[in-house]
Amino acid sequence: MPATDYQGLSASISRSILSLRRDQIHSMEPTHEASGHDLELEAFQRQVADRFLDLSSVGSDDLLSLSWIRKLLDSFLCCQEEFRVILFNNRSQVYKAPLDRLINDFFERSVKALDLCNAIRDGIEQIREWKKLIEIVLCALDNRRILGEGQFRRAKKALIDLALSMLDERESTAALAHRNRSFGRQNAASSRDHRNFGHFRSLSWSVSRSWSAARQLQAIGNNLAAPKANEIVATNGIAVAVYTMNSILLFVMWALVAAIPCQDRGLQVHFSIPRQFSWAVPILSLHERVLEESRKRDRRNACGLLREIYQMDKCTKALAEMADSVQFPLTEEKEAEVRLRVQELGKVCEVIKEALDPLERQVRDVFHRIVHSRTEGLDSLGRVNHND
Amino acid sequence: MEPPENSNASGGAVAFEDAQKIILRWDSTVSEEARERMIFEGDRDEVDRYLKAVDDIQKSMSSTSISDDQDKVNSTTIQIAMARLEDEFRNILLNHTTPVELDSLAAADPSSSVHSSAAGEYEEDDHAGDDDIQDQIQRADSSTSNSSASYRSTSSIREIDLIPQEAVCDLQSIAKRMISAGYLRECIQVYGGVRKSAVDSNFKRLGFEKLSIGDIQRLEWDALETKIRRWIRAAKVCIRILFSSEKRLCEQIFYGIGTAVDDACFMETVKGPAIQLFNFAEAISISRRSPEKMFKILDLHDTLMDLMPDIEVVFESKSADSIRVQAAEILSRLAEAARGILSEFENAVLREPSLVPVPGGTIHPLTRYSGDSTTPDMEFAELEGKTPLAIHLIWIIVILQFNLDGKSKHYKDVSLAHLFMMNNIHYIVQKVKGSPELREMIGDDYLRKLTGKLRQAATSYQRATWVRVLYCLRDEGLHVSGSFSSGVSKSVLRERFKTFNAMLEEVHRTQATWLVPDNQLREELRISISEKLIPAYRSFLGRYRSHIESGKHPENYMKYSVEDLESAVLDFFEGYPVSQLLRRRCQ
Repeated sequence: MPATDYQGLSASISRSILSLRRDQIHSMEPTHEASGHDLELEAFQRQVADRFLDLSSVGSDDLLSLSWIRKLLDSFLCCQEEFRVILFNNRSQVYKAPLDRLINDFFERSVKALDLCNAIRDGIEQIREWKKLIEIVLCALDNRRILGEGQFRRAKKALIDLALSMLDERESTAALAHRNRSFGRQNAASSRDHRNFGHFRSLSWSVSRSWSAARQLQAIGNNLAAPKANEIVATNGIAVAVYTMNSILLFVMWALVAAIPCQDRGLQVHFSIPRQFSWAVPILSLHERVLEESRKRDRRNACGLLREIYQMDKCTKALAEMADSVQFPLTEEKEAEVRLRVQELGKVCEVIKEALDPLERQVRDVFHRIVHSRTEGLDSLGRVNHND
Repeated sequence: MEPPENSNASGGAVAFEDAQKIILRWDSTVSEEARERMIFEGDRDEVDRYLKAVDDIQKSMSSTSISDDQDKVNSTTIQIAMARLEDEFRNILLNHTTPVELDSLAAADPSSSVHSSAAGEYEEDDHAGDDDIQDQIQRADSSTSNSSASYRSTSSIREIDLIPQEAVCDLQSIAKRMISAGYLRECIQVYGGVRKSAVDSNFKRLGFEKLSIGDIQRLEWDALETKIRRWIRAAKVCIRILFSSEKRLCEQIFYGIGTAVDDACFMETVKGPAIQLFNFAEAISISRRSPEKMFKILDLHDTLMDLMPDIEVVFESKSADSIRVQAAEILSRLAEAARGILSEFENAVLREPSLVPVPGGTIHPLTRYSGDSTTPDMEFAELEGKTPLAIHLIWIIVILQFNLDGKSKHYKDVSLAHLFMMNNIHYIVQKVKGSPELREMIGDDYLRKLTGKLRQAATSYQRATWVRVLYCLRDEGLHVSGSFSSGVSKSVLRERFKTFNAMLEEVHRTQATWLVPDNQLREELRISISEKLIPAYRSFLGRYRSHIESGKHPENYMKYSVEDLESAVLDFFEGYPVSQLLRRRCQ
């Protein structure tokens, strides 16, 4: 690695002070460098605000949908990249206290996000499993077929499997017993029992039993506070950018955990962002809306708030009910109802099929960018120390 | 059984009725008996009858002259048959999920890596129950490492039979029928469900723990080293044997259906463990860099590189893209990490700023730190044929030595400077000798050069300290011609004794506080000093004591006996101050 010469900033004493309100920016000696620096920081704030305003303008039907999540991750990647550039442009500052401590702190938080990325990947795999079961249902109740008893029995099997699989872990055992009674199956053979339970939980998480997404989120948000005035001054305003990035990281990870199934999901993370930050309002509003969604009666026990999961759940529950109560031969009315639901389910399935792979790649991308930025950052912190 | 009918239709109808009866008889939702018995566990005739029944129903379904009602009955019957077959399929699979014997796996594993630790270096891991298994793997490894030359890529893959052939045939015949009835997805679902847990449990038996990146960050390096070693062994078995065998099983059971199906099954089965496997290596590749990690990171890198061709083969399908990509990413990160550690270390060695000499001339912390990667200057010709890593290491040692040289000059006492160099070079030599990997990389030539430097430093030290001390004990100058006292000048002699005593006391007092940490080196040094000092003093005393004894206050001059000197030497290089030289009665 080439030994790099770091130049100190010129006229470092007369640095301009970046305050939270634009009209308060004053500088003793506005050098060309100084105003460029401030502009950069301001631009960052603006872009973050713009992106999150856009995200928060989503209608309630699309909040936490697959496409919205992908947009969220996109925004994160852009913010992350801009932040990285800011750090790079100010690398001579980065090792000076208190910025070095703040940056190290940011890297520590971002490492915790890596485990969440991996857990989300697991969750995406879980959704894939459900999609496969739905495909069986769609195949059984396909448009082109005559809907006879055979088709319904076939669909029912898959629907039962799906319902069990989508249950919260804690509820599984109770539901298992209930399910056996309600669908009239007396399962004596051990292979059946194994099938009933083992099959659904056969997708074990790749994390240990004690790992918790909720705890991980709390660790990311732990002691996250807006920078104090003296910190802002001492770091030439970069502390604000660091705080911004930390908050974005926390929110994005939180939203992912809210949407996608993972082990020990918990949404109780404290979000308090001072309103002076232009991006605070949209993020807080999104936070509020997601929380509201999670409190709704029919979503309280959902294993993930992803809109498509909700749609899947609704459709399949309706179909299961119909399958249970169906009388043969089918009335035209009944048949039309069923076909409608199947069509709905088909649409959801299409959306899921299209979006899951790209989503997984995006999550991996987030993983990589975090790692890359951290390695780069730690490297330069370390290297500069040696140049003292 | 039935007499052949004249018309196909009626013959077909009868066959169909029989088939339907058979299938309905085995409907487990209505028949108690059907629930309690499994077709494929019983009479082979029964199996054949059932399968034929399914075939007959299917045949009739594809016939064009069929009424709507008949079609409905058919589809119900088929659904019942498929549900039954699904259960049978699952049951057969479940009956053959005995865990694979790990020692047979290990013995089959043909590879060994240059960097991996020798068989003797195995350490206790925290799974008491797995000790046996690990031992066996280790023994098998070392016993086969001689027999394997260098296996190339796919020849290192060893597939084993996870399920006996008869069971495979049964599974094949079921799968065929399920698929032709349009129940492919159910078939894959069942297969995946059962095989997944089988792979999981085999995987667990290899000692895998589910560690998060956070867990790995918190672990001490020693513990991590053990886990890396385990991972290296396990990864080879997993990819070359476990996963590849699963792949073959899929291909067998879904033979002739098309690769998309067996790819889907295979990925369903192994994706979980595969991701867990790679997540560990990934976590190591992004952990904080520090010098002591270098060799293990290189080991990990080399293992993964060795495995890449096999990974490409085993995970060649499109649905396995993400796994191949992840493996490649990890590989490059590991290489980056190794390079990063090396150059960071280089910088540290070059720029290490402390100007305060290490008290007591002992081993500089940097030497100790670089103990795992060091060597001295060399001619360019000698660098030929060395790997880039070796050259880089050698370069680091050159820098280290340069730095040490510089530091030694800060000692005011030149003897201490030499002792400092001795200590540090000796440490390096010991480390290189103690590590077969290092020794092989650096080469015996360099070791000799280093040892030569060591000897040089030792000689310089001796010269710096003892020449002037022993100078007092020389013969020349003591004999004066033409005097009355048998040619020996008493005054000169007394001066000599005084000077010798003073010097000795000073050297003793100072050099007792110097430190040579290495026991052997300390001993050797002392012996070397004694060998020169003691005989010289003994003969000096022997020759000239009478002259001193005949004068006044002999005890002021012959202060120390030979024994005093011998015990004094034992104080040297202990590293702590001593009281005055013990003085016994002069003999």
